[in-house]
Amino acid sequence: MHPAERQTVHRWSFIWTGALVALVGFILLGMAISASEAWAEVSAGLGLSLVAWGGVLQVLNGALLAPAGTGGTAQLPTGLLLGGVLVWLAGWGLIASGIRRAPAPAEGLSPAAGASLYPRLARYRDFYWSTLGAYGGGMLLAELVLILLQTVLSSGVPSTDLSAPAQNAGGGLSLPPTLAFALALIAASAVAFVSGFIGASRAQRLSLPEATIGVLYLGLPIPIVLTLMERVPALQLALGYRLREVTYVAGLLGRPELAYWLVFTGLVLALVLGINTGFIAAGSGRVDLKLGFELFVARRHVMVFRPSLLLGTLAVLMFGIIPPLLIYFIIRSAEAAVERTRIRSLGLSDPLAAASDLNRLKLREQSPTMMMTALSVGGVGVGVMALIIVLSVMSGFEADLQQKILGTNAHAVVSRYAGELPDYPKVMESIRRVPGVVGQTPFIINQVMIASEGNVDGVIIKGIDPATVGSVTDLPEYLLGGNKLEILYTPEKILGHGLPGDDEAPAGGSGQEGVEEDDIIRRSGKASKPAVLPGIVIGRELAASLRVVVGDRLNVVSPLGTELGPSGPIPKSRAFRVAGIFYSGMYEYDSKFVYILLKEAQDFFDVEGASGIELKVADIDDARRIAGQVVKVLGGYPYRARDWGEMNKNLFSALRLEKLVMGIILSIIIVVAAGLIVATVIMLVLEKRKEISVLKALGVPDGGIVKIFLAEGLQIGVAGGLLGLFSGLSWCYFIEKVGIKLDPEVYYIPALPVRVEFVQTALAVVIAVLVTYLASIYPALKASSVEPVEGLKAE
Amino acid sequence: MALLSIRNVFKSYFLHGKRIDVLRGVSLDIERGELVSLVGASGAGKSTFLHVLGTLDAPAAGEVFFDGRAVFSMNDAEIAEFRNKTIGFVFQSHYLLPEFTALENVAMPALIQRQDRTGAYTYARELLERVGLGHRVDHRPGELSGGEAQRVALARSLVLKPALLLADEPTGNLDPATGEGIHQLLRDVNRDLGITAVVVTHNETLARSMPRRLRLAAGGVTEA
Repeated sequence: MHPAERQTVHRWSFIWTGALVALVGFILLGMAISASEAWAEVSAGLGLSLVAWGGVLQVLNGALLAPAGTGGTAQLPTGLLLGGVLVWLAGWGLIASGIRRAPAPAEGLSPAAGASLYPRLARYRDFYWSTLGAYGGGMLLAELVLILLQTVLSSGVPSTDLSAPAQNAGGGLSLPPTLAFALALIAASAVAFVSGFIGASRAQRLSLPEATIGVLYLGLPIPIVLTLMERVPALQLALGYRLREVTYVAGLLGRPELAYWLVFTGLVLALVLGINTGFIAAGSGRVDLKLGFELFVARRHVMVFRPSLLLGTLAVLMFGIIPPLLIYFIIRSAEAAVERTRIRSLGLSDPLAAASDLNRLKLREQSPTMMMTALSVGGVGVGVMALIIVLSVMSGFEADLQQKILGTNAHAVVSRYAGELPDYPKVMESIRRVPGVVGQTPFIINQVMIASEGNVDGVIIKGIDPATVGSVTDLPEYLLGGNKLEILYTPEKILGHGLPGDDEAPAGGSGQEGVEEDDIIRRSGKASKPAVLPGIVIGRELAASLRVVVGDRLNVVSPLGTELGPSGPIPKSRAFRVAGIFYSGMYEYDSKFVYILLKEAQDFFDVEGASGIELKVADIDDARRIAGQVVKVLGGYPYRARDWGEMNKNLFSALRLEKLVMGIILSIIIVVAAGLIVATVIMLVLEKRKEISVLKALGVPDGGIVKIFLAEGLQIGVAGGLLGLFSGLSWCYFIEKVGIKLDPEVYYIPALPVRVEFVQTALAVVIAVLVTYLASIYPALKASSVEPVEGLKAE
Repeated sequence: MALLSIRNVFKSYFLHGKRIDVLRGVSLDIERGELVSLVGASGAGKSTFLHVLGTLDAPAAGEVFFDGRAVFSMNDAEIAEFRNKTIGFVFQSHYLLPEFTALENVAMPALIQRQDRTGAYTYARELLERVGLGHRVDHRPGELSGGEAQRVALARSLVLKPALLLADEPTGNLDPATGEGIHQLLRDVNRDLGITAVVVTHNETLARSMPRRLRLAAGGVTEA
């Protein structure tokens, strides 16, 4: 029998019987487990064994349980358990005996027996512990670097919740958390990359087993622990405080686990890139990072940077597929018609010249690989363009929302854990010394019912100080009709430009129709002499729903605190006169917020001083740190400060999560394009098999071949990325300048907002290039494994 | 010391699952400056033998020494560099790279060495003139005739002044007159540049015109 035919022999009767016996054993074991009600533990153990830590953890578990389990509560069905295990093992034994190697052929030794095996084969090693160490240790080190750097770089920010001085003893820098995260991530990725590089250049192979084991055993534990920390209280207690900076940054996304695993994936990616680069650089036995020759060959192979290809793809990206294609076909057919006419008339005088011209015309036809190249460039371009446009529009929405929220709300709010701030002028004096605070105003906030003649609504009422509120929010600018907040000080003047005649009449009365004046703020008319009431400023939507205008009377009813009426306690109620109407553009604010004078609020709610102090800071991204410093200046407890990010945490983390998910979904386009690139480069490799063999015969090492085909894939990626960048930015510019109208019934802004953020735009291009790089690894490795003799066989 | 010593080399290939031992313990010395012809029946393993000599294919067992150095003990990069610097190949088909001009093809081994491009092109142009193709330097392989392409391939194999030239039926695809031109070039190269050459051929006249003749049959090499 020939060696190639010497194979495994299956005895199916044994195998099937064995499987049945093993099944019986399994059922017996299952009964035993059910009897002792241990399914939870067993399945947990099985689950852990999936991540390859099961064995170690079970041993540890057993060791920990052994002293404690002496007085075991549950009665173990020993007989059932033992029997089950035996039957199960017997089943597997049967199966194993059913699978056998066929006996060795009775053929003599080959003539080469005794000759020296050629040394390269003999010296080849399959597994490198040092490479495993580099990969696994690198992953672990990268994760630790990330966590430590994050903590060190941003832990200088005093916590805003508890007494600050005690916590700040650890020292550390005080960068904004997101910046600290960016720096830490870059450092950690560099660590992962370098360790991948070192490991691969040590082994001179990609060393997939080492990489898998390293990532599984040394890379996974930290993200698993971080994920479990959200669920397991004991872990939270043990680690939560030390890892607070890490959890804070992850929490910015709304779903911390998602953040952990995304970062883990990113680090694995950096490791893979490092492994690949290390292999390419050193895989053939020496480090060679030069690229000149490889690029020279690669450029001739794909010819991506041809004006016709670039312009054509750009046209498709900018104007869609059909219009450029139509124009192209029209031009081509016109050109062909002209050319044919010319050749035909030339043929009448000089047939040979005509023949050679005709031949040249034929030569211009393109190869399928060229078509594929153009398609891949277009695919990457579409992906990048879509990412840039969508992310920019989402950033636009986010920026708009943030501007609206910060226009109405403060950047940070200082208050006490319980009770009010009776001595707010003193507190404000202290806060003034904190650098970075550019404005502050006291306020009182409460929830009340508000009632007009025709309607009633629940609103948030805010007592403000008109003199300083403008230094914190944009409320004064939001006032319609050129009104000033200062009018709240002089309620008797409100009617001066209010409604003529009876202020008790329902708003928007019939007599007003046809008069050329603003519907809401009626400034014409003569004054009369109704009662002087304190002023109130309400939003436009609320004014519309309450059907009131400036000068109308409103009743504010507080559910808290009662007054004694003739027939027992009644809710506290007070009458106000609409002094102004504001429009912020956020429906939520325009329908829910009303403002009165701080002094009125103090009286109404029996508050001494203020509920808190609103702050405006110079740099909104620095609000968290400044808030912390304010608390420090105030001496910590009982004061606390919350920044806008914390107060609107859910909203902004939802926005961020949405953006991230959009980014991931759109990246799928790039992944599909990467599939195209894989196909294109594989086609190239198949097409160039002979050339690869020739290049090897001429002395190009395997690493050089890999570089050539990686460069080909990368060219496609770079061209696509740049085209996508250009067309995406053009589209953003178009949306910004020309504008796309939004339905005002649905959206709170009139046109689609766009904000091109440098980092995310650059990231879209970088991701596209990285993905194409990764996509070309496989075909490039395939290319390098072409044996020289394979392509050189004489046809 | 012999330029090339082959010691107890074994090589097999597999056809439909059957092992065919084409080289069974071949041992041989080739001296510097020799011009050797290798003949044998089709499928006797002439090309395989040549590939093993040129490090394109590794033997199953045995050793090949070049100038006393065991070539198959080197790592991939060293072998590639060795092949690039010391061995020139000419095959039955020209195997020029279709995307590059004749000049670039000839200069390719020098470019692989990362030599300066202008210097490489100057010498390549000189070589092309020497093989009589000075007027076709900017033509792509598709625009050259078979004989012209084979001369370009010969020029390419010489561009780095290799110590050993391996030719695998270089005239197999050419008509007798054109083939004779190539043969003349090979002899000139051997005589003028002192390059050791091993030429596999079916052409008995050519074989007889060589100073040393080898025959490969039944897995062994004999002097003929």
